[in-house]
Amino acid sequence: MTIIHKFEPEQKDKSSNLGKNKITFSLGLLIFILILAQIWVSHTVVNYGDKLKNIESLKKAYVSENQVLENEIAVNSSLSYIASQSASLGLNVAKDVKYIR
Amino acid sequence: MRTSFVRLILLIFFGAILLRLLYWQTFRGEELIALAENQHFEDQTIPAFRGSIFFSDNSVLASSQPNFILYGMPKVINQDERSKMTITLAKILWTEKFSKDLKEADEKEEIDKIRLDLNNKLTQDLYWVALAKDIDQGLKKKIEELHFNGLGFEETSKRFYPEGSSSAHLLGFVGSDSKGQSTGYFGLEGFYNGELRGLPGQIKREKDAFGLPILIGNFLSRGERNGKSLRLSIDRTVQYIVEDNLKKGIEKYGAKAASAVVMDPKTGNILALASFPNYDPAKFALFPKEFYKNPIVADHYEPGSTFKVLVMAAAINEDVVEDNTRCDICNGPLALGGFNIKTWNNKYYPDSTMTDVIVHSDNTGMVFVAKKLGLDNFYSYLKKFGFGDLTNIDLQDESAQDLRDKSEWREIDLATASFGQGIAVTPIQMVSAISAIANGGFLMEPHIVSEIRNEDSTFKVKPKIIRRVLNERAAKVVTEMMVKAVEDGESKYLKTKGFKIAGKTGTAQIPVAGHYDPNKTIASFVGFAPADDPKFVMLVRYDQPTSSTFGSETAAPTFFEIAKQLFPYFKIAPVH
Repeated sequence: MTIIHKFEPEQKDKSSNLGKNKITFSLGLLIFILILAQIWVSHTVVNYGDKLKNIESLKKAYVSENQVLENEIAVNSSLSYIASQSASLGLNVAKDVKYIR
Repeated sequence: MRTSFVRLILLIFFGAILLRLLYWQTFRGEELIALAENQHFEDQTIPAFRGSIFFSDNSVLASSQPNFILYGMPKVINQDERSKMTITLAKILWTEKFSKDLKEADEKEEIDKIRLDLNNKLTQDLYWVALAKDIDQGLKKKIEELHFNGLGFEETSKRFYPEGSSSAHLLGFVGSDSKGQSTGYFGLEGFYNGELRGLPGQIKREKDAFGLPILIGNFLSRGERNGKSLRLSIDRTVQYIVEDNLKKGIEKYGAKAASAVVMDPKTGNILALASFPNYDPAKFALFPKEFYKNPIVADHYEPGSTFKVLVMAAAINEDVVEDNTRCDICNGPLALGGFNIKTWNNKYYPDSTMTDVIVHSDNTGMVFVAKKLGLDNFYSYLKKFGFGDLTNIDLQDESAQDLRDKSEWREIDLATASFGQGIAVTPIQMVSAISAIANGGFLMEPHIVSEIRNEDSTFKVKPKIIRRVLNERAAKVVTEMMVKAVEDGESKYLKTKGFKIAGKTGTAQIPVAGHYDPNKTIASFVGFAPADDPKFVMLVRYDQPTSSTFGSETAAPTFFEIAKQLFPYFKIAPVH
């Protein structure tokens, strides 16, 4: 048999192979880390919805309470209330004003 | 052959899947997206607070109070729970909301009515039903402590008036329009409804299976814009003094109604505005609708003798008379156009000066002035003083009576109009016109609001001069006449001593079915003080007082009583 061409496996460039593997490995590792991070964030944040709802309810309650208290202050500082309280304390309207020059 | 057959089956199978995908993605795609959004997203409306209204010293006149609607979810509540719930809720709602003055039997009946109403609502085939409105914070807490399943609260807000029914006509009230939205009616609430209303916000965010928001999910928001706030020129103390004295006066003089308005003549700022009978704007539905109208801007009346000073001012401005011009027709009643014009007390002062005409409130003297002025000038001054037109005060219910066309005026009309009969004005027109005498001749536009406040900016309302009506000399001369009228006229024994007050009484008969009723009058007093540098112009008016029909015995004493309290408040010292 006449040998035309001897089949010999090609000598691969070891250095370039190593480079490509490194990149693939790094990418894979990065993706893996990102997946883990996303799982961790989702897991952590999933409970925050409850906290957020509570904070919102609390904020609403404080705003309402604030408004109610402001209105109470307004009632207690109204002139008709002051007049009636003054009368109950025995204070009278000045009938005459004396002007001193 | 068999492979071809299998290939065909697979092709048909995948083709069907593709077609089905096409159907769901394309034809039903939007519907499914909407359904998914509904499940995954929550829409929340953030209510906007209605703007507050403040007095000039920033104390609160009207604000918003958090309020709740109690709702039930009938499908969640079972029969046993419902029975216990309705009994307990009925008792609580009755105790909180209704009078405790009813007898026990009536109370039981009323509680039973509420219980039945609640039961009817909770047996409906609905997911959500409103059970009670106007639940305040305290009541909400009480109901929450009962820990009933299937109940909830929806937050709304209600208008709150810390001064009660004070300034009711000034404010107006907040009701609901045909779409159920809060809308202001009458007064400031009506005029400034657009500014006060605000815009609710919206939040759209992703929620999880428990209905809780997902922090890192999609989030869209449009912030709420609370309504703008108004700061008024109304002085809280002056308002209180005016209302207090008016309330006492209406009782003392047995009047059907009373009103008063105080204005700063230099700026047009309204310092106080009050009328009785009034209503509680928080419970407006419980009062007759006739009470809602503000008489100061919407009621037309014949001003009577208070109008004389304006006619006199016009005549002096036109130089047709002076303060010392003598009246040559004042020696007795005047026959004119088939009518007899007399003075109010049938006393006549021949050769009176124009000052005497004002002091004695002489009708025949005023006819003399009107004749000197002439119809053309008279009519023109009516227009210049603002009669027949709106004053453009910032209150919703203002109206103005049109002046009859000049061509329709007869001699008798000119004569009667000269002493304020046969012509209809509103109190705000009257006080604005008198302010022109007080401030040296300028007609000012009256206004109530001095500032409109946003969250980040403030708009100040500036005084507006409409026109010059009189020259300074004419204004000064008439002022002196009005001072003399107070010092030497019918109300001289009642005036506040030591202060120079310019004023004029008015007693106008009320036209009833084509004639004047002698027993029914509009008694009024208009004036300003201190006369040399006026801090306020005031009109006091009693409708049909019964203790006396005269302005000098009803409106004038009230005016002086109010002025007596205003002088120390405005730090005005007596001149002597």
